[in-house]
Amino acid sequence: MNSPAFARPPSWRIARLRRRHRLISLTPLIDVVFILLVFFMLASSFLDWRSIVLSAPSAGAASAAMEGTLLVEVRPRGLRLSGRPLTLEALESRVRSRLADKPDQAIFVKPAAGVPLQRAVAVLDRLTAAGATRLSLIRDRTR
Amino acid sequence: MRLERPRTGGSGNEDDRILPLINVVFLLLIFFMVVGSLSATDPFAIEPPRSANGEAGDPKDIVLLIGADGRLALDGAAVESAGLPAAIARRLEDAPHPEVHVKADGGAEAAAVVAVMETLREAGVERVRLMTVPEG
Repeated sequence: MNSPAFARPPSWRIARLRRRHRLISLTPLIDVVFILLVFFMLASSFLDWRSIVLSAPSAGAASAAMEGTLLVEVRPRGLRLSGRPLTLEALESRVRSRLADKPDQAIFVKPAAGVPLQRAVAVLDRLTAAGATRLSLIRDRTR
Repeated sequence: MRLERPRTGGSGNEDDRILPLINVVFLLLIFFMVVGSLSATDPFAIEPPRSANGEAGDPKDIVLLIGADGRLALDGAAVESAGLPAAIARRLEDAPHPEVHVKADGGAEAAAVVAVMETLREAGVERVRLMTVPEG
C-alpha cells in the first residue's frame, strides 16, 4: 500500500478518475430530467382557451325584456330573424344596419332543438362581427 | 471558447458526447414547463366549439363541463343535472365573484346548454363564460 505508485498516481489516472466520477453523477441527472420532461409533456395542455361572455337575461325577465329586441332563431334547416327565414350573410347585413340606428340593440339567439352548440356559436360570431355587444342565448320555455 | 480536445482513446469521452443530448432535453423541459399549462384532467373529453372571437383566458374558478351527450361535471366531479343547483350553491359560498366557465362540447345540443346556463343563473351565478378555442 505504501508503494510509490499508489502514493502518487500518474496524471492519466487522475484524468480517468475525474472522467469516471463525472459520468456517474451525470446519469441519474439525465434520468430525472427525462422523467420531468415526460411528466410535463403528458400533463400540460396547449389548448388556447377563449371565452365569450354572454349577457344574462334571467329566465323570468326574458319575456318582459323581449320588447324591442331582435330574436334570431337558429333552426336545424336555417335561420330566422323575427320569424322570417334568411341566410347568415343576410342576417349579418340586417343586424349591421339595425345597429347603425341603435348601437345598444339587444339580440337574443334562440337555438331550436337539434341544433349543435357549434352552430349557435357560429351565429354568435357573425353577430359579434356585425358589431353586436348585447348578445344572449335563450331557449323555449314551453318545453 | 472551448476547443475540442484531440481524441486519444476510442471510447474515452462518452460523457462529452452525451452533453448535447442533455442540453436539448433541458431545453425541451423548459419549453414544456413554460408554454404548457398544467391543469387537472377532465372526467370526460370534450371538443370545444370553435369561435373567431372571444377574450383569451384559461378556464378557472368554477368550471362546468358539459359533454356531447349532456353529461355534467362541476370542477372535475360528475354531477347530475338535478343536483347541479345544490352543488353550485355550495361552490358559491366561498366565491366572492360568482363566475362560471362553461366548457361545453361543440356537438352538444345548444338548447340543453342554454338550459344549464339558465339553471346557473337561477342558482345565483352572475356571469357565465362560454369557453371556446380559436378557429383553424
